[in-house]
Amino acid sequence: MRKNRIHHIIRLLFVFFCMNVVWYIAYLLMNHSILPSPFAVYNAMFHLGGQEIALNVGYSLFRIFAGVVLALIIGLLIGLLMGRSLTWNKLLDPVVYLTYPVPKIALLPVVMLFFGLGETSKILMIMLILLFQIIISVRDGVKAIPENTYDVLTSIGASTVQKFWHVTLPGALSVILSTIRISLGTAISVLFFTEIYGTEHGMGFFIMDAWLRLDYPEMYAGIMLFSLVGFVLFLLVDYLDYKFMKWRN
Amino acid sequence: MSNSKNKGLVIKGLKVEYKTGQLALGKMDLSLPEHGIYTIIGPSGSGKSTLLRAIAGLLPSYMGQILFNEKSVHDKETLIGLVPQNYGLLPWKTVHDNIQIAMKISHTASTSKQERENQINQWLSSMGISDLADRYPLSLSGGQQQRVAIARAFAILPTILLLDEPFSALDAITRETLQILFLDNWLAHPATTLFVTHDVEEAILLGQKIIVMPSNKKEAPEMIDNQLVFQMKHEDKRDSVDFFEQTKRIRKVMQEIW
Repeated sequence: MRKNRIHHIIRLLFVFFCMNVVWYIAYLLMNHSILPSPFAVYNAMFHLGGQEIALNVGYSLFRIFAGVVLALIIGLLIGLLMGRSLTWNKLLDPVVYLTYPVPKIALLPVVMLFFGLGETSKILMIMLILLFQIIISVRDGVKAIPENTYDVLTSIGASTVQKFWHVTLPGALSVILSTIRISLGTAISVLFFTEIYGTEHGMGFFIMDAWLRLDYPEMYAGIMLFSLVGFVLFLLVDYLDYKFMKWRN
Repeated sequence: MSNSKNKGLVIKGLKVEYKTGQLALGKMDLSLPEHGIYTIIGPSGSGKSTLLRAIAGLLPSYMGQILFNEKSVHDKETLIGLVPQNYGLLPWKTVHDNIQIAMKISHTASTSKQERENQINQWLSSMGISDLADRYPLSLSGGQQQRVAIARAFAILPTILLLDEPFSALDAITRETLQILFLDNWLAHPATTLFVTHDVEEAILLGQKIIVMPSNKKEAPEMIDNQLVFQMKHEDKRDSVDFFEQTKRIRKVMQEIW
């Protein structure tokens, strides 16, 4: 088990190393300032102030977390309602069905018009990306819990809240986690878009700012850091999955 | 006399219909004194499970009355322990937590953590599954899961215990072990128990009285006294003349009303 994990990490590091080698070869072949060498980029990364990195990464993380939490709260409520009540499902299903295919990123100008250029519109965009996926997966996850799972708790007089907490939520958790994992990538991309306007913090801003200043090593350093943020978020979801889904095997 | 008759579980004119209007359970009248164990045997579709679900309060509606000691069975005072055929364990909770949550919801858990742990450990060891406390149900065999389900049902100290073909999915040896284990636990905590089975032997081995459900839902169920066999030591039951006689008798009743 432990040996496996070490092997896994070594493999990851090896692939990472190879990618850098390919990068270096491309740099040698191109020999142009738009593709700096890996050394220049890592050098630029280490010369960034810790405070600056913390501020930009912190802003980006805050926006993602706020968006995810908001989407989870609203998505859980609506998804549960649709999963547990036939009437609400009938009522809301067409709404979800019709709005689901709308490319949420196309709503960016609308959200900017309604909520301005500040934090609200950035967080709302991330929430919009995740919300519909979460609604649908919660609804289906809740529906997939066999009705008789509730029987024993019902017969000893469990309240609605107790049944939600001990049956519905853990039963739907696995689909919720996999939905977050899938839509997290999209959420991070959208975050980039929203950070190129109306802010002076965040990874998106940092990358575009370096680009405008023609400071390419710093721009690449920003991209690497942004990827690292994404990677850490994926690890977090994996950890949650490991922690709460132990029962599956 | 009439007073003692109303004690225990009394079912008056119980009738259950499916949504389609079809009859799930015909008019049923039963009077079962407290602290007894009653096995119910009947063909599939005779309404055995429906009867248990009605008592457990899992049906949206039914006609008639179900009373325990002259009060509705769905009163807060009457606590019902249910052991379904599929064990009904929450797969995302460990064995320990499955029992703990049932005790908490039914308010049988002690408020002190130490004492609560003792309670749970005691129930686990009485079903011989102490070493499984931290395992998840999906990693257990059917027999082990059913032990957990039975431990959970006893742990809430129920007034009524309902078992719906609890051993029917188990192999013969596991089933016999569990029958003995169940009976030992029941003798120590004799809740009023309804035990549904489709196995004639099991009905005779475990019941003080045996209720034979008719396949025709309009007839009344037949109640057969089984005290003679019930009093024997468990290991002697199968080989006794009474057991054999009882089997013949039930088979005869079954031929008449099935």
